Amino acid sequence: MRPLVDTRVLRPTESALALKLVSEMDLLRLKAIARLHARGLPPDVGWEDLLQEALTRVLTGARRIPKGVAPVAFIAGIMRSLRSEHWRRFGAARRRKDAPSGYRAYRTRELALRDTAPDPERSLIAAEELAAIERLFVDDPLALRILDALGEGLAPEQICAQLSLTRTEYDSARKRIRRCLLREGLTCAPE
Amino acid sequence: MRTRVMHAFPETALERILDALEPELVAASDADILEAASDLGMKPQMKGSAAFIGLRYSSAMPRAEDFFDAQWMLQLLNDPRRIWLASAAATRASSRARPARKKAPRPPKEPGEG
Repeated sequence: MRPLVDTRVLRPTESALALKLVSEMDLLRLKAIARLHARGLPPDVGWEDLLQEALTRVLTGARRIPKGVAPVAFIAGIMRSLRSEHWRRFGAARRRKDAPSGYRAYRTRELALRDTAPDPERSLIAAEELAAIERLFVDDPLALRILDALGEGLAPEQICAQLSLTRTEYDSARKRIRRCLLREGLTCAPE
Repeated sequence: MRTRVMHAFPETALERILDALEPELVAASDADILEAASDLGMKPQMKGSAAFIGLRYSSAMPRAEDFFDAQWMLQLLNDPRRIWLASAAATRASSRARPARKKAPRPPKEPGEG
């Protein structure tokens, strides 16, 4: 009788776990981060794709974790850059599609101005996701004000000054935000 | 007054918010994760916990690798009979797409016609 050989393919998350690159708790942390970053991507790109891609890059050696850097922080950074890369590629593809072709493009290339208008699809997705984030914190007006300030690019000190918050109040609100994000990140509901 | 999370371009605001919230999750302690999981009624310490759906267990959509092993899939993909059958199916489909034109039935002969 032929011996049973387990030839099942491990997913990148399972491989990372087996190689002790991350712990089970780290995987949950990464799930929450992946679900967060997937909010900045079109709906057809899921958080699983984002996380598996980031882990694949580490496992194949395409991205190497520098010494002294926590794997979770590094993998989170890869997911962030994958998110930016997606929109860069998407924008480039759109420009190629809209660009005049052949001789006309050659003649007008010096005069052509680069279209800097925001992509309507991206703006729509972003507006929907901002509304979804707003719904997450609908019962916490202070958290909403902090998120609003973060959206304007303010640093924590500036936020405290603008909203007249003590550091303790700010930290307490941040803790509530973190807990809410973790709850949302651990759930199995669609993003 | 109601607060709205939208002042800058939505995509810029979203990017800033996501980038600012990421370190919060990176720095989340195990205790934070366990607390959030218990809010949802999940027990990550238990084998088969729903918290690991999408990580260790597949989520809603089953994938081919959940059912078939890699060798079997490679054999199937490289099977020449399968390729031959696929090309035959394509040929059949294309021939079906353009059916032969039928001749219209001839009208019956008139009594005076030879």
